[in-house]
Amino acid sequence: MSRINVEIFLGIIIVLLTGGMILAYGINEQARMEEYKVAQAASAIENGAAIFDNNCKGCHGVQGEGVAGLCPPLNDRFFFTERMKEVGWTGTLEDYIISTVAGGRLVSTRPEQYPGGGKPAMPSWSEQFGGPLRNDQIRDLAAFIMNWESTAPDRETEPSLAGPPVGTDITQELPPGDAANGEALATSKGCAGCHVTTNNGPAWAASAGQPGIGDRAATRIEQDDYNGAATSAEQYLLESIVSTNAYVVPGFAIQMPANFGQSLTAQETADLIAYMLTIK
Amino acid sequence: MLKSLNFQDLRKKAGSAIDHRVRIITAGMGLDELRAVVRGDPPTEKPNPRYKVHTTSFLFHIRPRYYEKGSTILSHTFRLGFFTAFFFFLELFTGLILMVYYTPSPGAAYQSILELESNVFFGQLMRDMHRLGAEAMVIFTALHMLRTYLTGSYKKDRSFTWLTGVILLGITLGLSFSGYLLPWDQLAYWAVTIGTSMAEAAPIFGEQVNLLLRGAPDIGAGGLLRFYLGHVVLFPLLAVLVISIHYYKVSREHGISLPAKYEEGNVSAEVKKNAKSRLDFIPDLLSHEVFLTTLGLLAVVAGIVALGYSAPLESHANPQQTPLDTKAPWYFWWLQGMLKLGDKSVMGIILPTILVLVLLAVPYIDRNPHRSLFKRPWAVSIGILSVILLIVLSYMGLPTYGIEMPAATRIIQDVAPEEGPGPLYEVPFDQLQPGVYAVSENPPDELCPQIDFGCPVFTEVFHGYNDDVIHASTAEGLEPYQQLPNAEAVMVVEDWQNDLRKVTMRITWDDVESGESTTYEKHVFIHRNSGGE
Repeated sequence: MSRINVEIFLGIIIVLLTGGMILAYGINEQARMEEYKVAQAASAIENGAAIFDNNCKGCHGVQGEGVAGLCPPLNDRFFFTERMKEVGWTGTLEDYIISTVAGGRLVSTRPEQYPGGGKPAMPSWSEQFGGPLRNDQIRDLAAFIMNWESTAPDRETEPSLAGPPVGTDITQELPPGDAANGEALATSKGCAGCHVTTNNGPAWAASAGQPGIGDRAATRIEQDDYNGAATSAEQYLLESIVSTNAYVVPGFAIQMPANFGQSLTAQETADLIAYMLTIK
Repeated sequence: MLKSLNFQDLRKKAGSAIDHRVRIITAGMGLDELRAVVRGDPPTEKPNPRYKVHTTSFLFHIRPRYYEKGSTILSHTFRLGFFTAFFFFLELFTGLILMVYYTPSPGAAYQSILELESNVFFGQLMRDMHRLGAEAMVIFTALHMLRTYLTGSYKKDRSFTWLTGVILLGITLGLSFSGYLLPWDQLAYWAVTIGTSMAEAAPIFGEQVNLLLRGAPDIGAGGLLRFYLGHVVLFPLLAVLVISIHYYKVSREHGISLPAKYEEGNVSAEVKKNAKSRLDFIPDLLSHEVFLTTLGLLAVVAGIVALGYSAPLESHANPQQTPLDTKAPWYFWWLQGMLKLGDKSVMGIILPTILVLVLLAVPYIDRNPHRSLFKRPWAVSIGILSVILLIVLSYMGLPTYGIEMPAATRIIQDVAPEEGPGPLYEVPFDQLQPGVYAVSENPPDELCPQIDFGCPVFTEVFHGYNDDVIHASTAEGLEPYQQLPNAEAVMVVEDWQNDLRKVTMRITWDDVESGESTTYEKHVFIHRNSGGE
């Protein structure tokens, strides 16, 4: 056989081999595309989870459980079944989430229940409206929120208290507090949403030449304009939590929910105060 | 009798009509000749109709009539130039298809790639082929140049061909680099940001060049459009133009160089004569080219289908966040390595420019008339040294070389990289059991004894993390930035959502300088179906 014959022979085998591989690849193509879509949806949820963790948990809760008196939960059954009817939304729930996240809320739709973080009630998050997120990030975030649907609890329920509520008496003796637990409570009870993440309320951390809340609490009660009843730093903090109208820091309106006396136990309040006192 | 005569007459007439048509289509070869070509027989007519094709057909006109037999020896050319051209045409073909599905705007580019991969039949195969072909084209261009250099084929009347070849190397890099940005993922965005920032180092007009390339101080919509147009219009046009010159010189002017031994070696006149004998394009070279084409296609398809090559796609480009371990495309690592050695404008612009000029001028600098390896020791040793230097510089260009990433960041990045695959992402979802796993001197052999099948992969990943932290905490003789004195570390796995788990890695240690307790923490979310990143 000449070289040409050999090459023709081998060439035919190679073409058949290549064709066979493309055929095998093609047969699997439909399944591969499905698999890719599933993986893509999963990776969108992962991205959305990270975005939620960085931007949303301060107001809507670490696990989307919401913060009573501030921001609505996003992980309950009501949100997935009733919310669209409530606001008269005609698109899909995913569109509703995307639209709300992108444009934010100038005023709350449920001001008594969830006034949100002041004005606007929810900031706009899309780059187009001055926010930090791209459209694809907002889509990922919506995919993450939609993923709560299958496990959404039936009703918004107030978590039951582990003990008697602390009440509004600021002279009471509180149990010894645990600062580490207080830090966790600051996030789970929603304090961080206004006092750490945003500045809807006076910032806890040292800022604008002022020391942190731990130091400020002691000096505040000596100020001339202070009209509350506290006589020590601990009492001032307790008063600020359970009796929000007693004294309002100048420059801030009363926005803080007034029901913490009923929704916190004495131990939780003590933990929170212990934590706040560590922020110098 | 009359009847049969008529029939023969008709047959003859029809035969000659068909033959005439065939001659027009094949630009000179009749039916008998075609048959002889396929059978490997000698030409059937005189003058040789196979040469006529080269005069009458445009496409064959630009091909060689013949090459000298000795120049086609496999171990002389390795067909490197052929395969460079093969990959160029493969890129044109797959690129034209990919263009249909692509939108060059920052808001839509990444999404269009996702849709190509998830919604287009053979879409992923096309993208993989295009990417693999691009890498191969760069490799083959470089090897082709190295071969030409070592065989001394750039000398005498081939010096201009060498010069066009160096320009083609630049165009190939330009083609590959401009395509790098188009998927608009983190890999693309930051590799190109690094690449173009080298232009910024140019003296006097660096800022302007950078602005011209990126369309704005940072790459955005303008930059993407520029790279896209460069990739699909400017560079391909340039490539076709310069390839035409380069190839025409080889095919019609001076042919492929003979191996040096036939030109200047001590071989008999008969061997020399045989080496210089003609190997005709039709049928020998043509059939060989068709054969090589099938071989090239097989290699590319097998690389993807059988060996599992897949074009990488990281997360959406984010100008606000530079991922750790960002690097330029591999063919620019040597440049990154040089940048680590000294001043940005000297190492990034002036030296490379000199290098390119020297490369262009090689045939004019090297006046040694000999081509044999043994008669040009200087040229060969400089060539080999350059290759070694290029490899060493490329290694130095890697992000792991000479960059002092703090130990905690390094350890966690190794377990769960910000982008791309990593050990943690390889752990099957069911093995990622929720719990708090603390780093200790003696970590448990089995992390999740509560499940029947255990979690071997997860245990292995955790042991890697555990050992890295313990090593940084206790080993002697580490650099300060590699140390984690009194380190305490955990890996926490939490159930976060339906089919979604959150992994937190936290390392706390006493800072080497201040002695203060320092913490580094990272959260990773892993979904059951994500199959890694």
